[in-house]
Amino acid sequence: MSARWRARRAGSLLACCALSLPGYAPAQSALAVSNVPDVITRRSGLRVAPMSRAAQIYAGNCQGCHGDLGSSAREIPPLAGRVGYFARLPAGRRYLVQVPNVALNASSDEDIAAVLNWVLMTYSRAQLPADFTPYTAAEVSQLRRARIDVVAERARVVRELVSARQIPSAEALALPQIALY
Amino acid sequence: MNPGSTTRLDRWFEGLSRTAARRTSRRSFLARCGLWLFASSALPLLPVARPIDAAEPPGKRKPAAKFASEFANHAQTHDPTRCNYWRYCASDGYMCACCGGGPNTCPPGTVPAPTSWVGTCINPEDGKTYLIAYRDCCGQDSCGRCPCLGQEGDMPSYRPQVNSDIVWCFGASSMVYHCSSAGLVGLAE
Repeated sequence: MSARWRARRAGSLLACCALSLPGYAPAQSALAVSNVPDVITRRSGLRVAPMSRAAQIYAGNCQGCHGDLGSSAREIPPLAGRVGYFARLPAGRRYLVQVPNVALNASSDEDIAAVLNWVLMTYSRAQLPADFTPYTAAEVSQLRRARIDVVAERARVVRELVSARQIPSAEALALPQIALY
Repeated sequence: MNPGSTTRLDRWFEGLSRTAARRTSRRSFLARCGLWLFASSALPLLPVARPIDAAEPPGKRKPAAKFASEFANHAQTHDPTRCNYWRYCASDGYMCACCGGGPNTCPPGTVPAPTSWVGTCINPEDGKTYLIAYRDCCGQDSCGRCPCLGQEGDMPSYRPQVNSDIVWCFGASSMVYHCSSAGLVGLAE
């Protein structure tokens, strides 16, 4: 076989080689790689702190809207410094379970009880009543079956809290007007 | 044109086919075909450094299907401009890393929405599950680069809390979607 033929075959073999390496990107710039947070974490040896189960349930089911600090957009009712007020009366305690996004959540009764207790203790400990007893799975299981008119029920609970002098005024739990986009 | 006369093209093709006939037999054609087939299937086995394997130390390569998550089995941890970057397992949209931002930063001129939706992804490097916040960057027209569709844990839009098709610019100064970021929330236990 002539040298020319051999060279040609080698060339086409190389072309074949380049084609058969899926997703191989030879121009991978070192700068781009060094900006990746995972690479930075790996090089610095930093470790991400593990989250408790309740914190995980909150992150996966609530945090998107309510925020990692318990408050976010104007449109979302803040939890921080407020939600504990509801636990001061039986009606409010029921309301926190019967709010549709809690009652209809796919999580188990145990997980709902755990995340409610975690939210109350984490974001609103100061507003809790002195004799607060944590939610139990059995209590959640029974309460979450009810379907409420959430706006009317919330207004009713807030009125009740005001008349029982559990909050200074309805302002303490007021929601802002939702802005038009 | 006279069919008997030969043009230069005819002569060239004739020469080519005669040379091919002289030099190649059916058997050698089959042999070469086989060689090509074998070579092209065996080449990926060569120990060439490929980005998808770069994170794993050599000699510790595990079988492909090692995670319950299909996405994680093909994911990598160092190139956020590709759709198989591990944090994108449940991200649907244009990736901010390709739009002038980073995997967890918004490009200049856009604002991160205060709301996000949170998914869990397996990091193929350590095999652990992390919670990832998919936060949209808003205020500029669609970026249009790196359209990725990770659908782990994604639900139809009648479950809006866990649907990724919805623009999550709620609470931002503008509802105009630009790109999606994927920030680390924490490590699941």
